[in-house]
Amino acid sequence: MLLKKLFRTLWHYKAQFISMVIMIALGVGVFLGFNMEWYSLEKNTREIYEKTGFADYRIYNENGFTEKEWSAITAIPGVEDATRFLSVNTTVKNDTDVIALTVCENPAVSGFLVMAGGKYSPDDPDGIWLSDSYAKANGLALGDPLKLTYKTIEVSGTVKGLVKASEYLICLPDETQLMPDYTSYGFAYISPAMLENAIPAMLHMMMGSSVYHQINVKSALPKAEFVAALDQALGKTLLVLSKEETISWSEAQGEVEEGKTMGSILPVLFLAIAILTMVTTMHRITASEKTQIGTLKALGFRDRKILRHYTSYALIIGLMGTILGVGIGYLLGWYIMNPDGAMGTYIDMPSWKLYVPGFCYLVLVLINAFLTVIGYLSVKKMLQGTAADALRPYTPKRMKHLFIEETRRFKALSFGTKWNLRDCLRHKSRTCMTLFGIVGCMVLLVGGLGMQDTANAFVDVFFDKANNYAVKINLDTESVTNREAMDLAERYQGDWTAQRSVQIGDRGFSLDIYSITHDQVRFADEDMRLISLENEGAYISSRIAREFGVGAGDTLSFSPYGGGESYTVTITKVLRSLSESVVMTQAYADAAGIDYTVSSIFTNQTDIAANRHILNTQTKQAVMDSFNTFMELMNTMICLLVLAAVILGIVVLYNLGVMSYTERYREMATLKVVGFKNSRIGRLLIGQNIYLSVLGILIGLPAGVGVLKYLLDALASEYEMKLALGPATYLISILLTFLVSLFVGLMVARKNRNIDMVAALKTEE
Amino acid sequence: MPEDQGHHEEGGVTMQVVEFKDVSRIYRNGEHEQKALDHVDLTLEEGKFIVILGPSGAGKSTLLNLLGGLDSPTEGTIIVDGKDISTLTANELADYRAATVGFVFQSYNLIPTLTVIENVALVKEIAKTPLSSHDMLDAVGLLDHKHNFPSELSGGEQQRVSIARALAKNPKILLCDEPTGALDSETGVMVLKLLLSMARDMGKTIIIVTHNQNIARMADVVVRVKNGRIRSCEAQDHPLNVEEVDW
Repeated sequence: MLLKKLFRTLWHYKAQFISMVIMIALGVGVFLGFNMEWYSLEKNTREIYEKTGFADYRIYNENGFTEKEWSAITAIPGVEDATRFLSVNTTVKNDTDVIALTVCENPAVSGFLVMAGGKYSPDDPDGIWLSDSYAKANGLALGDPLKLTYKTIEVSGTVKGLVKASEYLICLPDETQLMPDYTSYGFAYISPAMLENAIPAMLHMMMGSSVYHQINVKSALPKAEFVAALDQALGKTLLVLSKEETISWSEAQGEVEEGKTMGSILPVLFLAIAILTMVTTMHRITASEKTQIGTLKALGFRDRKILRHYTSYALIIGLMGTILGVGIGYLLGWYIMNPDGAMGTYIDMPSWKLYVPGFCYLVLVLINAFLTVIGYLSVKKMLQGTAADALRPYTPKRMKHLFIEETRRFKALSFGTKWNLRDCLRHKSRTCMTLFGIVGCMVLLVGGLGMQDTANAFVDVFFDKANNYAVKINLDTESVTNREAMDLAERYQGDWTAQRSVQIGDRGFSLDIYSITHDQVRFADEDMRLISLENEGAYISSRIAREFGVGAGDTLSFSPYGGGESYTVTITKVLRSLSESVVMTQAYADAAGIDYTVSSIFTNQTDIAANRHILNTQTKQAVMDSFNTFMELMNTMICLLVLAAVILGIVVLYNLGVMSYTERYREMATLKVVGFKNSRIGRLLIGQNIYLSVLGILIGLPAGVGVLKYLLDALASEYEMKLALGPATYLISILLTFLVSLFVGLMVARKNRNIDMVAALKTEE
Repeated sequence: MPEDQGHHEEGGVTMQVVEFKDVSRIYRNGEHEQKALDHVDLTLEEGKFIVILGPSGAGKSTLLNLLGGLDSPTEGTIIVDGKDISTLTANELADYRAATVGFVFQSYNLIPTLTVIENVALVKEIAKTPLSSHDMLDAVGLLDHKHNFPSELSGGEQQRVSIARALAKNPKILLCDEPTGALDSETGVMVLKLLLSMARDMGKTIIIVTHNQNIARMADVVVRVKNGRIRSCEAQDHPLNVEEVDW
């Protein structure tokens, strides 16, 4: 019989019941979805790293490595495996596309996974194992011939396999590009045999004893230890980059960290609102059921049975919300983590399985236990005392005088304002929850839209204002002299840059030396103001400033790889930039005696004649297109966030609005009897929503900015973005929150037409 | 229609304030039908103290609710102060309640979040010719408590606030549904005395619904209701004073 009552009561409180289930489902869904995202990413990337033997260290030598050197490295205690490795950018399809041609002697390290086609053989004479994503984007299939060009040399073969490789997990030509673009950039592996047999000329051109510029190593040794052992084994100091310094590791792990950060803010907000709303709702439901609770007690039901009966409401709400939430979580996880979705355009991995972190199960169990305890305590409170006590209807707290009531301003307030103000103070928990819902809605909107503003401002400064060039010409640094490069720059009325790898502490960074005479490139300072480089010092990106705790006026020491010298420079300013680099002018580099080779020219001219020193050209538009993909991804996330904010706002406010309506039913009936019209009573009800919305917006606005700041700080290791909030964001956030509040207010206010004055006033208080 | 009806004449003209013409109120709940009022005809005159008497479920509260504009008849016409209120819209009924009738309930129905004076002053928001809430509170002897909340008052005091609020609207008719029902007899007598003296001084028509025979002995007119019909409507030539009634 009690079971029948259970279902009928659930139906009676359907508005509260449904909104609670939605709230918990949203909370659980967002919590699970966000945590599944980073955890699945971590697990799936780990899988490809392991399966393809992602190297822990990469050792570079411009003159290449001999087999003997490879043996010496392999013999270092703590080195598990190593391979000689080559990766050069080759062009395909008349110079427009670039493919990183890769050769790996020992595929157990820095190898690849064959997704389709034939098995790889190190002796294969003409097989090309091509990136499957590049093949798909360019309509290439197994058996297709492919011609790769390096300088004047052509390598021809047949596509024998379509592959994925951890070394190219995030397939970017350089750090200036945010998103991979497989229509123009990909990678391919060929066998060492093909390299040696098919292109002896290329071998010859690539100088010295060996074409393998790189040795990739698997080793659990710490970097300092490894470098020391390496120096000893080879008798020279070489550039060593750990996996943390490669894009395919750092960017993927950055995504994982970003996911963890996002997963620790948004879901907490959602879950907190869901749980707090549950506290308020359960209390109200049991309060209005108090007479029935008392009746059951008076009939002879034991407290335990009544407790079990009413506690099961909370349990049912919790379980239903959780089941629905798990579904939402998987949907959200799948939406972000699928090969054709947002993450798929960024990370090129074979497995997209969804994994749930172990702690999530614990959190779900705890949430349900907590919700049940909330239900239990709410009923327990109503059961206190004798059966007669329990039978008495619940009476809300007595009104107390406010300290402001004696003020003239308070006395001058209209009746409606006084009524609403006192009602808010009488039902503090309900008011706080409403406020919390509005603040939550506002925080999500400001956070989401502000993130978009910030990213837009970033793109705007870097691509529309800082970079005026149309084409970037990448030079062949092995053949070009500085004189030739500067002549070329002058011919195209361009600015040039020279890049060197340098070491600060035990980490590698890029030293970018610029000669800017045609205003093709500018830089942004920490306040995102555009500046011109001065010749008195060096500039560093804000990530370096943060990592080494230095700023303008301080000095910084670095040593270029491959040489024993060390330079100490004075920092002029901290920049916001795309890459982690030290920047200086040619004049300052010359004065400091730093060697360099010009590597790229930035020009506004688009007609670039073929030249043996030009490796390839890259249009600014291509880079901007990759940014646009990034922005589209962000926009999708923002839309989801805005949608979640609106649902959250509507559900919380409706639930509490209905609660407020039920609690003030008798008062409204009285007003109606006295002669107040429905519209007037509706306005009074909406008035409360409006006051709370204004307050919620006033709190939510700075709170939203605060959350955004926290997010940007947490993401600072990946992006050097500066918080930017446009007037439209403020306006949309305020308007949308206000509209949600007004919409819910109107929905609730409509109900007052149905107030049964006679029935309402007959009931005992 | 009962034949024996009291008449109040003023300058030779009988001033009718309420007229029920063949009024029925039927409540339908699925297939079940309940006739709360069954073809009622009733005429009441201005300035009188009228008691509607009957057992529980007789239809007396329905009569009062229809008269107060809280409910509309299923059939028939109700004319109050020359105006047919049986066909009014919800908004027109609200205007009618604001201007013409004042209510006093058994359970007071004060707004718990407004102070005593604010509860009375509330009617200023809607009434066309409201009286001073200060004066009304003074008249019910609660001026000292004007800044208290209802929950800080006794039941009798709360009912006095409710009377002050009903009269502050300056209505033509005062409708009272068991106004002393929730009070002990001593307080009940005191409240009743106050109610009658104030309403009479202000020249209001008072209609009290009750099952208390003693209250009926004080009325100018007693309307007896049973099973949704008017059994009698009698004028009393010598109504008793509150003090004369044996409570």
